[in-house]
Amino acid sequence: MITNQLALIRREVWENRSIYVVPVLVALIMALVTIAGLVTASSFDNEVRMAILGASNIVGDVERQAAMTLLFAGASPVFLLALAILTVFYSLDSLYAERKDKSILFWRSLPITDAETVISKLLTATALLPLLTIAAIVVTHVIILIALSIWIVVKGGSAGHLVWGSVAFIDNWFAATIVTFASALWMSPFIGWFLFVSAWTKRSPLLMAFLPLILIPLIEAIIFRSAVFAEAVFGRGGVMPLFRGGMDMDDFFDEERMQVNEEVISLLAHLDIAQFLASPSLWAGIIVCGLFTTAAIYVRRYRDES
Amino acid sequence: MTSLVTANSVSKHFGAVRAVDNVSFAIEKGKIMGLIGPNGAGKTTLLKAVLGLTDCDGELSVLGLDPFRQRKELMQNICFIADVAVLPRWIRVTQLLDFMEAIHPNFSRQRAEELLSRTKVRSDAKVRELSKGMVTQLHLSIITAIDARLLVLDEPTLGLDIIFRKEFYGNLLNDYFDGERTIIITTHQVEEIENLLTDIMFINDGRIILDATMESVPDKYAELMTSGEDAETARRLGPIFERDVFGKKVMTFEAIDRDKLEGLGEIHTPSVADLFVAKVKGAAA
Repeated sequence: MITNQLALIRREVWENRSIYVVPVLVALIMALVTIAGLVTASSFDNEVRMAILGASNIVGDVERQAAMTLLFAGASPVFLLALAILTVFYSLDSLYAERKDKSILFWRSLPITDAETVISKLLTATALLPLLTIAAIVVTHVIILIALSIWIVVKGGSAGHLVWGSVAFIDNWFAATIVTFASALWMSPFIGWFLFVSAWTKRSPLLMAFLPLILIPLIEAIIFRSAVFAEAVFGRGGVMPLFRGGMDMDDFFDEERMQVNEEVISLLAHLDIAQFLASPSLWAGIIVCGLFTTAAIYVRRYRDES
Repeated sequence: MTSLVTANSVSKHFGAVRAVDNVSFAIEKGKIMGLIGPNGAGKTTLLKAVLGLTDCDGELSVLGLDPFRQRKELMQNICFIADVAVLPRWIRVTQLLDFMEAIHPNFSRQRAEELLSRTKVRSDAKVRELSKGMVTQLHLSIITAIDARLLVLDEPTLGLDIIFRKEFYGNLLNDYFDGERTIIITTHQVEEIENLLTDIMFINDGRIILDATMESVPDKYAELMTSGEDAETARRLGPIFERDVFGKKVMTFEAIDRDKLEGLGEIHTPSVADLFVAKVKGAAA
């Protein structure tokens, strides 16, 4: 069972190279943007010297850490956005491509159940894709820090003091891991829906997946003058119950005391895993994902493909 | 029990269309069975039922398993090649071997590599880079490297040139068939496989119209080429089918004593193709 899953997931990576190409590409772009930014900043020689001087002497440890955490928190959403787009296209293609290229009968000629196949695609979307995203975030973070260190050293500052001593690695990376996996779980009903559409539709899975998401709220609004479906579906695009009181930048800087709020330099401090796991919306979503996945398995099993 | 496949009143309906209509048969171990029928006769549907790819009514047992409900177990001991079950175009030959090795308990990578080394298929090639003939060679090599008890071939050589086709059947006999394994094969190019078959089954409109061993065909069927008055005499003996060839009459007889035809013209055993036409058209007339 596990050997089969590993083989099937490896198969997914062979077929969909974008699974690793996209995170690598985003990492590359982020690193290049950072380097370009540093090079541009270098032309303001005086200001740079002042800033490094200020950062080294006037500003305290807390502020330095806060700045480094902000840098990390600012770069990571790009990866999550790329992950979201990748997940949509991957899931929609996962059970459609094998029917389009007629290889489905070959795959079904092997001793693998339809459930195993569909589950391997679900696991790829909900576990492998987030995992590779986290890896890309961590690698990019390190690359950015190295580039920043080199730049600071060239400009006469101390990279050890300003950069490496000020980054809360464990906090940042652990928080990124939790947010990424939580996002995958939170969005899992969509992944289930996409898998089902991918197994079921005869043409244009993208259109077939998104059309109902637009039409159903419209029809509901016209006929029932309500927005239950729209809230259930688009409500998920709002803030996950993982975040403690949302992510409010006002908390970050305490204006009255004119200093950075010590609590908020930790990203983990913003996350409430218990609240997330206790959220009925999360579990309702996971059940919806399970139902759609089961439907996808049945469609693959019972539909005659010729 | 030596029956690998047993079908008892098997039917498959698509709405009002009866693709397979109350069919019963048994296929013994070590046979090479040719399943022959016109397009839309129900061959592929029947094979799909045997392979567990589609549900059907009636009793169907393959290797003692219910094919639709126990497909995974079944597929450890069955292989199939169909013109509609193509290899994915994106996969590399090495990836395919890796995958098969990981998921198939009866797959021998060494054997597959040995078979592939005799072909022009490069191990680092992607399927999309190979010609249709090479893809079929690759598929057959992989299938042959599986220690399976039953091989199902549905139009395996469709679209291949004659050299590839000859080679395909040659390899099939030399590398795969060992008297222990069983093969079910459908093709339109009956002439090419006629000599390989041990058994034939004709299917038309979802029904089996002939189920016989090849050995029994000469005993049961005779073809007479005749003309003129002899033709009149022969016609009274009740041929199941009659056709014209170069101004002469060719008549196919079923269950007839060949002595009765003696002196009326040239007597042959009908080819599988001619017998098939006689059975189908004869039944329609």
